[in-house]
Amino acid sequence: MIKTPPPLKPGDTIGITCPAGYMNYEKAATCISTLQHWGYKVKVGKMLGSESTNYFSGTDAERLAEFQRFLYDDEVKAILCARGGYGTSRIVDRINFKKFKKKPKWIIGFSDITVLHAHIYSNCKIASIHGPMAGAFNEGVQADDLAGQVEENEYIRSLKDAIEGKKAKYVCQPHDFNRKGEAIGELVGGNLSILAHLCGSVSDIKTKGRILFLEDIGEQLYNIDRMLLQLKRAGKLDKLAGLIVGGFTDTKDTDRPFGKSVLELIRDAVKDHDYPVCFGFPVSHGTENYAMKIGVGHKLKITGKKVTLDE
Amino acid sequence: MNRKNFLSAGATALAATVMPGYLANAATRTDESSGIVPPYLKKGDLVAITSPAGYITLEAIMPSIKQVESWGLRVKPGSSIGKRDYTFGGTDLERAADMQQLMDDPEVKAILCARGGYGSVRLIDLLNWEKFTKAPKWIIGFSDVTVIHSHLGRNYGVASIHSKMCNSFPDDWSKAEPIQVDTILSIRDALMGTRMKYMLVPHERNRRGKATGRLVGGNLKTLESLAGSQSDIRTDDKILFVEDTGEYLYSIDRMFWNLKRTGKLDKLAGLIIGGFKIKVDDPGEEFGRTLYDIVWEKVKEYDYPVCFDFPVGHQKNNFALKCNVLHKLVVEKEEVNLTEIR
Repeated sequence: MIKTPPPLKPGDTIGITCPAGYMNYEKAATCISTLQHWGYKVKVGKMLGSESTNYFSGTDAERLAEFQRFLYDDEVKAILCARGGYGTSRIVDRINFKKFKKKPKWIIGFSDITVLHAHIYSNCKIASIHGPMAGAFNEGVQADDLAGQVEENEYIRSLKDAIEGKKAKYVCQPHDFNRKGEAIGELVGGNLSILAHLCGSVSDIKTKGRILFLEDIGEQLYNIDRMLLQLKRAGKLDKLAGLIVGGFTDTKDTDRPFGKSVLELIRDAVKDHDYPVCFGFPVSHGTENYAMKIGVGHKLKITGKKVTLDE
Repeated sequence: MNRKNFLSAGATALAATVMPGYLANAATRTDESSGIVPPYLKKGDLVAITSPAGYITLEAIMPSIKQVESWGLRVKPGSSIGKRDYTFGGTDLERAADMQQLMDDPEVKAILCARGGYGSVRLIDLLNWEKFTKAPKWIIGFSDVTVIHSHLGRNYGVASIHSKMCNSFPDDWSKAEPIQVDTILSIRDALMGTRMKYMLVPHERNRRGKATGRLVGGNLKTLESLAGSQSDIRTDDKILFVEDTGEYLYSIDRMFWNLKRTGKLDKLAGLIIGGFKIKVDDPGEEFGRTLYDIVWEKVKEYDYPVCFDFPVGHQKNNFALKCNVLHKLVVEKEEVNLTEIR
């Protein structure tokens, strides 16, 4: 049985760290002030806007230590990863989850953070939030706006609702490729490249009877095809309850066209099965990125008129 | 053709028809011998060319046909040559049908893949290996063809040749550079039964030692994409070689983590790092570690030999290697060599 971390209350503390790539402090300023505006205290880790001069926010040891510290700090009720990039795979095997398993808290992020979601789901059986990170709070904010006084968009608000314990109720437009039906299952998924990269490892996810969601950015069509085939050949697309296809942004093609769109590739990959599938769900590297509670039971309903996902 | 080798290969193939499952298991558990080695080619034998992945014209493979014919072999282009479905050499079904026909045709003694690209994984599950395992033959190629090497080795324990393909044969043989001549003739040598030996200049980051084991490996990205599938490579007690091209350092790092986290680096006999054409980091995204650092970080806790800059990869310096055949790797201060054991 999956454990769900307790919802946050006003006055609770959220820790912000960067377990992967570097991010400067200014880019997270709106996020920090918004969280404070929501009534939370924010503990900003040293990895955000660190002295690092290379790709990572810090050495593996530094990133690990900060994540571990927040994980074991009783005052910190949720950990928001400020950004993804690459690097979580380098430290995940050294994180000690023992105390976290007994006293779970929300881990928030997406993209490279899919490593943590998958690992925690498979090994700790604790729910986590795939959702907007610090940069997303800057969406629509003008340079001369006073931070924290901007009306946040519905995707940022969905994160607020998620950490406050409100049940998700998402509605999106139908898509021509959708396969109608109803599915009930735990939500699993995230970034396709990362899910493929985790295949065969201790962080690999089981998908049977679950609702799987996928998104990716900047990949070549042929590589997306290869990754879908990897999931398929690893048996991860056979027995899904349902499939949610999010955004595949900035997809690239070869000089000689691959000949199919990314949505066609996904449709082909699951054509032998009959579970419901929806396309164009707002989970992506773009602005449209709802908070998704991984590990939590959801109901996906796909009709000709709309798609709903209810916790 | 050495008659003794021919007989032993034939005998193994016969045993495979009786208990293929047992043999496949035995092949992956012990590394005291080679896998099932297809009969080496002799003059007059037929080599077929197919395109399991990317599209190629008959014209583009003409230099390779001429060259292979000059070895005293006959050459037949398969039906996928000249076919095109966008980037592919025909639809999945067309490419699979060509490969299947060549696999099952008793006259064809070796199948040379014309080029890589992307697509082998789309046909691998469409193939029926029944006839092939009864009468194994050489499959030749690299890059995307790593799918076939890995699938073949893991499931059937059959040896295959990792080497340059038709698109790497020089148009004008008389103007070919010595390295092109040597690497392409290494395909002939591997195919016609020469016991392979490779010597190279030691790299300062090598880890010294000696190892004996079957040689397995190929393109790192392709190996990662097979993880968790029934074509996933098994590396225990093996000498693993990897190469790649056009990847960022962070991506190479992530792929080595995939190897490590799927248990493919802990029980190696030895590790061979081939050529890596690295994509330069974007400004402000400097990875801060070299390929050598990336590899060492993953294998520092083990003690098997590791050698760098082995002549295999997306480069001119890409010699034929026999996958699933027993080799000895010696990594010393003065010399590094890899020798096929019979």
